[in-house]
Amino acid sequence: MANEILEEHINSEYKWGFTTDIESDTFKKGLNEEVIRLLSHKKNEPEWMLEYRLKAYRYWLTMKEPDHWAYFQYPRVNFQDISYYSAPKKKPVLNSLDEVDPELLKTFEKLGISLEEQKRLTGVNSNIAVDAVFDSISVKTTFRETLAEKGIIFCSFSEAVQEHPDLIKKYMGMVVPYTDNYYAALNGAVFSDGSFCYIPKGVRCPMELSTYFRINSSGTGQFERTLIVADEESYVSYLEGCTAPQRDENQLHAAVVEIIAHKNAEVKYSTVQNWYPGDKNGVGGIYNFVTKRGLCVGDYSKISWTQVETGSAITWKYPSVILKGDNSVGEFYSVALTNNHQQADTGTKMIHIGKNTKSTIISKGISAGVSNNSYRGLVQIRKGALNARNFSQCDSLLMGDKCGAHTFPYIEIKDKSAVVEHEATTSKIGEDQLFYCNQRGISTEKAIGLIVNGYCREVLNKLPMEFAIEAQKLLAISLEGSVG
Amino acid sequence: MSLALENKTSTSQNLISLLNSTAEKNTIIGFEQIGEALQYIEASGIPTAKNEEYKYCNTDAILRKEFKQIGNKFSTPATLPSFDAAINVYMINGRFHSVAGAEKGIVISSLEEAAGSSANGALVKEHLAVHALPSSDAFTAINTAYCQNGVFIRIERNTAIQLPVFIHHITQAVETAFINPRTLIVAESGSNCTVVDFYHAAEGANYFSTHTSEIVVKENAHLNHLRIQAEKENAFSVHTIEAVQSADSTYDASTFIFGGNLVRNNHLVRLLGKNIESHLNGLIIGTKNRLIDNHTYIDHAMPNCNSNELYKGVAYDKATIVFNGKIMVRRDAQKTNAYQSSKNILMSDDATVNTKPQLEIYADDVKCSHGTSTGKVDEEALFYLKARGIGDTSARKLLLQAFAQELIDKVEIPALQENILNLFEASLN
Repeated sequence: MANEILEEHINSEYKWGFTTDIESDTFKKGLNEEVIRLLSHKKNEPEWMLEYRLKAYRYWLTMKEPDHWAYFQYPRVNFQDISYYSAPKKKPVLNSLDEVDPELLKTFEKLGISLEEQKRLTGVNSNIAVDAVFDSISVKTTFRETLAEKGIIFCSFSEAVQEHPDLIKKYMGMVVPYTDNYYAALNGAVFSDGSFCYIPKGVRCPMELSTYFRINSSGTGQFERTLIVADEESYVSYLEGCTAPQRDENQLHAAVVEIIAHKNAEVKYSTVQNWYPGDKNGVGGIYNFVTKRGLCVGDYSKISWTQVETGSAITWKYPSVILKGDNSVGEFYSVALTNNHQQADTGTKMIHIGKNTKSTIISKGISAGVSNNSYRGLVQIRKGALNARNFSQCDSLLMGDKCGAHTFPYIEIKDKSAVVEHEATTSKIGEDQLFYCNQRGISTEKAIGLIVNGYCREVLNKLPMEFAIEAQKLLAISLEGSVG
Repeated sequence: MSLALENKTSTSQNLISLLNSTAEKNTIIGFEQIGEALQYIEASGIPTAKNEEYKYCNTDAILRKEFKQIGNKFSTPATLPSFDAAINVYMINGRFHSVAGAEKGIVISSLEEAAGSSANGALVKEHLAVHALPSSDAFTAINTAYCQNGVFIRIERNTAIQLPVFIHHITQAVETAFINPRTLIVAESGSNCTVVDFYHAAEGANYFSTHTSEIVVKENAHLNHLRIQAEKENAFSVHTIEAVQSADSTYDASTFIFGGNLVRNNHLVRLLGKNIESHLNGLIIGTKNRLIDNHTYIDHAMPNCNSNELYKGVAYDKATIVFNGKIMVRRDAQKTNAYQSSKNILMSDDATVNTKPQLEIYADDVKCSHGTSTGKVDEEALFYLKARGIGDTSARKLLLQAFAQELIDKVEIPALQENILNLFEASLN
């Protein structure tokens, strides 16, 4: 019985697989200095930005593509077979929503983020300001004016380069320098757009900020950059969502997200990642190789990552926190669900440097189909990080006997005052739990849904309300047939 | 013989030429395996910190320093240590020396003798260098290529051996040397025995040991395997223990580490039948500059097996304790119960503990968990004891003893338990 249901959910399909027929301006495939210069020119970037790109590119050339440590096999990415820029053809400057390509608006409506609607409901606190990134460029940022009143800067990365060069120069690469890793270097060279957000001193951002990413064109890669700076005593909650059309090719998504939290600031970053995962035979899908890192630079600062990972053929992602300020706090809550041929290798790094720093890691993995789902994380207590405290819990749930669930925590402790705990369990949905539900008239399908939702609750509860609902739906669809 | 291992890029090549020029050819392992071993060392080299398995244990840096020859030559020491009510086996500089004591149902001889005998020759051929593959690790490869006459133990079918077997590893390090002890233990079906590897402290020059043990536990057999490392700062070692178990068998291993300069243990257990029990325990006291790295790998290949691991470490001074435990549950290994726990106490600001417990699971109907915790001595417990007039030092010692007792209690030989307790207390001072 349970097997049939599993079979059924394995056959479920990706719901966001449409493509939008928008005329777009796409670069020829290939990567060299010329392409980078052209890209920079196209975006009308200042000289220093181009210099940064070229430095990153030259560094990237000296690096080797990592292959040996991660837990899976995949066909190599041909970096010359990717177009590094694709933008919907449009007027250079948009004054109002009316000027946005209607096809594009339709796309966003299909995605469930109607920009129009957002616009109408101005001024309401529970609303979300959206920066929508379509292929390589940011198409529309809502609520900018409302936010500007508070002194909050929320715009596309390219605009920020033009309008706030000092902030970009100061903070870009502070947490993830281009020398960090292979994909961060690549991103440094070819990043196309992304979001920039600055919360000034003492401001509590009145609404959720959100970025929506969409890969549309075929043969392109997406390389966006997000930079969030929370100045002293500020607070912001930031959401990120992503989808891509259904294609039988593998597309590369190599993003960089940097968060900087100053004294007493708090940043909450939530992701619902739903890139196209490939079909049930493992053909196509997005390679999601992302570098996300936060730096608690000031005392009493806090950075919290919450993620629901259901998409991508391959996910490599370790949202991390460097706890540099004294009494700073890092959190990581994650649900990673893999189905069919998906492979996920995700986790976090908590680097304790300041005194009295605290970190919490809650990771829930669910594997179904023939997928592999790994937690890989690092907890490092540096020397002098007095009274550091970490608690980690990594649970895995296996659905069916063809998938794999793995745990690879690294724990490095160099200070005797540290208290570090780690625990991990692996199990399946208990027959007794199912029986209990069945007995009370709940069908097996609904019961699995109930149990999976209960299993993830700890993490889902951390999501902002709008996202929690989306995430629950997403889990339901990803496990369609077994979750009610 | 003073070829220096200085060339940065070719530690392994230098090593091979060095070893080749000083070693006698080993006669117990087949040419094919030796060839494979040499090829492996040449191709893969000596692991550096870049090698994931040796991330916290940079052997390359150590090997570049010294260790210039194979040191198998020895003269019999005037007195040999011995345990009462036990069969004492002596390995000197990695070479089988002698055996004192005997019991019906157990065969103990040198590997050379066993390979040549009609009764055991086939067993040696069947198992030696078959379980610990030369191509699995650089140090196993070195051992395979250069080991001299090791020890062979066979416990006959359906016999319970009353006396524990003590293998005394004695080193006379006259010049910085490699020693390559080799052990093959075959516990035939229904047998029961306790084997103790005791690594004695040696005076003199530094030495590097690559002790490689292959342990075969047949159906329904029970093997109790204790390892006590009481060496000094001149001891560098990478030991490999490969145990393979058949259905309904039990392999119960405890490792006690109180000394050595570099101690690396690769302890692997393969569960190849149903209803197997495996236990791996360890107690590590790290002092001074020691680097103590325990790697365990439990491979569940068949259903209905249980494994349990408990490693406890105390790190003093500038010591580094590493625990890397992996539980592999293969597709067919349904109904597996596998538990792993690593607990560590840091006693100094300069000490380091690195742990990496791993689960790799491909079967769904399993219960697997691992837990690891690292912290300091419980302040409240300390206060409780101090409030009752116990000094700080004694109170800490008492708490550490309580921490360690659980593992020491698992030793069922009273005299050995006392010996371990003494070593434990001595290492705390």
